[in-house]
Amino acid sequence: MAEIRLDKLRKAFGETVVAVNDITITFPTSAVTCLLGPSGCGKTTLMRIIAGLETPTSGEVYFDNERVTTKSPAERNIGMVFQYPVVYKGINVYRNIELPLLEDKLDAAERDRRIKDVAEVLGLQDVLYRNVSGLDNATLQKIAVGRAVARQPKIILFDEPITNVDVNSRVQLKAALKRLSKQHNQTIIYVTHDQTEAMTLADEIALMKDGVIVQRDNPRRLYNYPNDVFGGWFLGNPGMNFVQYEVNGGAELGGPLFRKPVRFENRGGDRTVSVGIRPEYVQIHPQVAPDAAEGKLLRKSIVVGGQYLLAIQLGEHTIKAKVAPEIGEVVGESVWVECPLEAITLFGEDGAKIETELKPA
Amino acid sequence: MQHIGSRSQRKSVTQKLSWWAQLGHALDRRERTLPSLLLVPVLLFFIIWNIIPTLWMVGLSFYNYSMISGRPARFIGITNFADILVDNSVWLSFSKTLIWVFSTVAIETALGLLLGLLFWGSAKLPGRRLALTMIFAPMMITPVAASIFFRLMYDPTFGVISWVISLLTGQAAPNLLGDRLTAFGAALAVDVWIWTPFMILITLAALGSVPRAELEAAQIDKLSWIKKFRYVILPNGKFILMLGILLRTIDSFKTMDLIFSLTRGGPGNTTELIAIVLYRKAFEAFNLGWASALAVILLLTAIAFTSIYLFILNRKQAEEA
Repeated sequence: MAEIRLDKLRKAFGETVVAVNDITITFPTSAVTCLLGPSGCGKTTLMRIIAGLETPTSGEVYFDNERVTTKSPAERNIGMVFQYPVVYKGINVYRNIELPLLEDKLDAAERDRRIKDVAEVLGLQDVLYRNVSGLDNATLQKIAVGRAVARQPKIILFDEPITNVDVNSRVQLKAALKRLSKQHNQTIIYVTHDQTEAMTLADEIALMKDGVIVQRDNPRRLYNYPNDVFGGWFLGNPGMNFVQYEVNGGAELGGPLFRKPVRFENRGGDRTVSVGIRPEYVQIHPQVAPDAAEGKLLRKSIVVGGQYLLAIQLGEHTIKAKVAPEIGEVVGESVWVECPLEAITLFGEDGAKIETELKPA
Repeated sequence: MQHIGSRSQRKSVTQKLSWWAQLGHALDRRERTLPSLLLVPVLLFFIIWNIIPTLWMVGLSFYNYSMISGRPARFIGITNFADILVDNSVWLSFSKTLIWVFSTVAIETALGLLLGLLFWGSAKLPGRRLALTMIFAPMMITPVAASIFFRLMYDPTFGVISWVISLLTGQAAPNLLGDRLTAFGAALAVDVWIWTPFMILITLAALGSVPRAELEAAQIDKLSWIKKFRYVILPNGKFILMLGILLRTIDSFKTMDLIFSLTRGGPGNTTELIAIVLYRKAFEAFNLGWASALAVILLLTAIAFTSIYLFILNRKQAEEA
């Protein structure tokens, strides 16, 4: 069991590119933490530093209070799965998984047991004695996963492991990863740019942007209460609606979102605030409803799950709403929009969340 | 009216089409002729300097033709070939050549791999670039020049190598090139000196073709050096390595200039490789028919080598696909 602690970690490439910018974070033992962020946010670099494949410009890496910053990947005793499936060519699947085990001085029976175990979880039994050449990408990636897992290292790193796998195998591989992650109480870091992947696999998500970790939280909280405009925008499909209000230090919000004024505590004295609400929390009424603001329907489309995605013009803003089929089917040109106060997050001028409760004035 | 209008419209469309089609065909034809035209100079060169002499040589191998006899060439069928096949000295040279090829290629490949891996593993070592440049220098020197200065270094009276050996053994300086026991080895050493850099280069190219992720995975999986070489480097780099070995094999088989300026095949016939025999017959004995026949046999041998190699390569590739 190993906890991974990063202390003021920084990695710069050349003079201008800072891939990892002063990150201090602890990845807890026996948990799956997803590093989630858009391409180029530094998540892969961060993982490579943890693996020892990249040397940080400054800062330290600790595994369970042991400083490993200058240790080689081999000395760190970790498992890693890369974005492109890496297998050792010219040998069969069994031997591929066995190779790293040979270095760990396990007896033959134990090796065999572990290989058969991971093969079963990953569904590799049928190809176990086949040469790796000629196997498809998904199977190759399963082998790579098996190789990393069978050694039972305390730490396993996954670098976008299912990006290059076809859609059908993804689901299967994801399920297998989930099972494997619960088996040995390992500390797992999983890098991805795919929020669905992160949401389904992670115990905790560390959201990254421009070399810093913006927020670290469990998936549900991260989704519902992002600390930052970025989290609201990046997560969700489509992302959060943002409506800007000029409050000039005041603490009251009105139209176009709210028919009756709403109060909040503007302790920071922000002059503009953004009201954020997820499209699925926006309530739509096909007919006039009390406390709902009238808007104009611009576009309507069906999304996954039969729900409707509506684009609604509200004053000079366009907001998106995701609604149930029953409502989506009957909405006309005029709709009535209601934003439940508990589903709203307020962001200040700097994009950070304002800690306050919204109340009717 | 409407009817006529639509018909004339249709006609103009077909006219337009055929006009475009014609232009297309013209462009097509031009596109095919231009590349062929551009190939002509190189083809001409190839035909004049390669095909014609080779055919000429093949033809000559069936004739009894001596440049100094003054008699016209006389067709004798396969007599030249028959003579060569029963000639013991040819077989002796041929077996020496095989030993030569095998030893040079084996030693150069082993050394090349070793040094290549060392250079590759020391990517951050200061002065690496300079060392690489220096190590490649022998390959750029013509073998004749290299042979001449090696002959000087091997010289028993003032050669540096002989001097060092005499210092180490405490005995009189040996005449390495003049001694039947050492001449072959001494010549071999020169070939190794000249051509090992080539195999280093090939090794570095092969190593360059190994995907980084695979090397990193091997590092993380804690594979030993031997396993890393066996399962990561070799599977990825073997085609380039084998190509290098093939090139060296063909080249080594033809070794002539190096030996000729080192020992002229001597002492006795100790270092008389097959190419030396060929040269002697052609340009010292001027028995061109016989020499051509031997050349044809050597050409066929080289083709056989290459075919076997290509066969193995293709089979392996097919297996992997």
